[in-house]
Amino acid sequence: MKADALKNVWKRELRVMFSRPIYLFSTVFVMGFCYIFFLTMMNEGLPERLPVAIVDLDNSAISRRFYRELNATQAVEVVSKCSSYSEARDLMQKGEIYAFILVPDNFYKDLLSSKRPEISFYVNNAYLVAGTLTYRDMLTMSTLASGAYQREILRKKGMSDDNAIMGRIQPIVIDSHLVGNPWSNYGVYLINLLLPGVLQLMIILLTVFSIGIELKDKSSREWLATGNGSIITALTGKLLPYTILFSVLGIAGNVLLYKFVGFPMNGSFALFSIATVLFVLAHQAIGIFMIGLFPVLRDAISFGALYGILSFTYAGFTFPIDAMPPLAQGPSILFPIRHYFQIYTNEVLNGAPFAYSIVYYAALLSFLILPFIIVKRLEKALINQNYPLK
Amino acid sequence: MKKSSDFIKYLTEGLNDMMRICIDEFKRIFGDRGVVLIFFVAGLAYPLLYNGLYKNEVVYELPVAVVDLSQSAESREFIKKIDATQEVCIKENCMSLEQARDLFLRHKVRGIVYFPSDYHLKLRNMEQATVSIYNDMSSFLYYKAMTMGVSYAMLDEMKSIQINRYNAAGITGEQQAQIMQAIPASDVVLYNPGSGFSSFLVPVFLILIIHQTLFFGITMLAGTAREESRSHSQIPEHLHGRGIYRVVLGKGLSYFILYFLISAYILVLVPRWFNLPHIGSIWTLFHMIVPFLIATIFFSMSVSVFVKNRETGLISFLFCTLILLFLGGFSWPRASMPDFWKYLSYFFPSTHGIQAYIKINSTGAQLSQIRFEYIWLWIQSGIYLITACLSTLYVVKKEKSPDAIQA
Repeated sequence: MKADALKNVWKRELRVMFSRPIYLFSTVFVMGFCYIFFLTMMNEGLPERLPVAIVDLDNSAISRRFYRELNATQAVEVVSKCSSYSEARDLMQKGEIYAFILVPDNFYKDLLSSKRPEISFYVNNAYLVAGTLTYRDMLTMSTLASGAYQREILRKKGMSDDNAIMGRIQPIVIDSHLVGNPWSNYGVYLINLLLPGVLQLMIILLTVFSIGIELKDKSSREWLATGNGSIITALTGKLLPYTILFSVLGIAGNVLLYKFVGFPMNGSFALFSIATVLFVLAHQAIGIFMIGLFPVLRDAISFGALYGILSFTYAGFTFPIDAMPPLAQGPSILFPIRHYFQIYTNEVLNGAPFAYSIVYYAALLSFLILPFIIVKRLEKALINQNYPLK
Repeated sequence: MKKSSDFIKYLTEGLNDMMRICIDEFKRIFGDRGVVLIFFVAGLAYPLLYNGLYKNEVVYELPVAVVDLSQSAESREFIKKIDATQEVCIKENCMSLEQARDLFLRHKVRGIVYFPSDYHLKLRNMEQATVSIYNDMSSFLYYKAMTMGVSYAMLDEMKSIQINRYNAAGITGEQQAQIMQAIPASDVVLYNPGSGFSSFLVPVFLILIIHQTLFFGITMLAGTAREESRSHSQIPEHLHGRGIYRVVLGKGLSYFILYFLISAYILVLVPRWFNLPHIGSIWTLFHMIVPFLIATIFFSMSVSVFVKNRETGLISFLFCTLILLFLGGFSWPRASMPDFWKYLSYFFPSTHGIQAYIKINSTGAQLSQIRFEYIWLWIQSGIYLITACLSTLYVVKKEKSPDAIQA
């Protein structure tokens, strides 16, 4: 009998799902759009052709070489040759360039007469990402230029062994391993946070909405009756279609990122996809908790929106949790996205054995207690139907 | 004579209607708990919240493990220098890479510095010695702190090694300096000199907070009105359904007055309290805020035609906050954006608002330097005024039609 009731609620919910565009819009369309948006937006992996300028007051063979070498680096493109500092600064304030390089006059002459002339970089870190990248490329260019010149001097001094020369110019080399993201692909970074972020936002909102609308439309008693009066059956039947839908969307995202686009996956795809399903369930549990706590659709939706937006910050990806003020660090455990992100780090980036992640899987599971805390209050609201109009 | 007095009558009547609608709208705003929550609580509290969370701006003293197989004076010297940087702090000394890896996987350390056993031998033979570092890539800021901390220490260590070597080779003084660094480079960070994270991102958030709270507040009011089917009651009776623009302007005026004050708080006061960049002139800021608010208000009123219920606005459009953040051209530089998305971004007031605000506030741009954004915001204001009128007209027509009662 119970199975029949469950089936009836499930059927009823499917009818609801197709009765209004909002259900399919906020699941399939939103997730599909976001996958396309973020993947096409960051298809380069790292920002390229960032505009910079050169202020060439020397106009010599070597300053023109700087210009060529700077253009040859990957991230930047010299879009403008300025005749003065103020002209370049004006371009920077207009946002047309992120950085410029200044070669003083008599640069070449001073270099030949061993006066160690200086070149200067000016960077706009109000655009932190673009500023950091352009700075890195300009520094590389100048180090290479300086190194080439030093090599010539040492050769003139009679050193011929290239190894010995390099040992002199650069005694220590740093061999940098970027664990799990060997190309320091910025797109890999952002997309892996953003897509689960959007997913959790939509799960919470839609869970709250699908339950809250029954209260608002005063159809909650009929819904309960379809579930044979059992709130557990009613909730399960109602939310199961969304569990499946969101899990499919989430795992489809994993397939897209790790199988098709070729993002690195150093651990187990299957284990990570299990985490994705737990991630969906945890957020549905939070959705139930919210509408149970505030059994008024508009209040619960506002609360869910607030929480969902804050989740992006509390994933601790753009700005690490342990760099936040101590008081602000604690609440991070209240956000499933935080635990999911730890699993992501372990499983996808670091390829750590499962034992290292087990605590985060358990944390995701523990969110499933939430509905049981609130279920009595929710049931009362569903039966009483004293929904405030204003 | 008659014509001009007709015109004056028409004008005063229009203004009267507009003021009445404006005052009505104020009453509706303050009478609605949800809208008050969005406009005032979200609008006023979010800026404080983000400033609090990102308060530390950068990562200091990143915990790092060292594996020193060289166990020499040379390696210990380098390790001391790494520990001395403000970016990195040596938390663990490990006997093997395995042990360090375990700490790394348990997130006890966020990076590993590895000295191979031949490190000091290579240095003594005047060859290139290699040091390996392993970066935790789970946050860009971990990676940045690690790379910068180790690089600073390396540059310093290299300098002392080179001085010794050239001294030994009999190259000293000016000649030595020339070989060590033929072309010295100086770098100047002109804006956001501390390279702080919140100085970079929070100003962008501030504009988005204004844009999004205004948007969700307006769509919530419109959705509520449609649920109660009373949009048309806002049209003055004697106009017989004409004079839509009075409704649009009247409502718009109430939002504008409110948000002018809220914007002053968010864009002028908050950056000063929290010491975010604020080097622009307030007068230039004022010039940018006015068209930004007008464009945002009419944009939101236009889109609200799609919002039929009180709550659906939030559900359908909340994810757009993220899209707008990226279209604003900050997390991902505008120069590297595909053309399609770049042109699409021109349609949203937030894009030009973000760009203009950062240029004024963080880099001290004058009005002439944000001409592009400024003109775009006014064009948007004009276009969205027209579409807001059309969308209001559509809603009113639909409600007056007989089958509206069933729907």
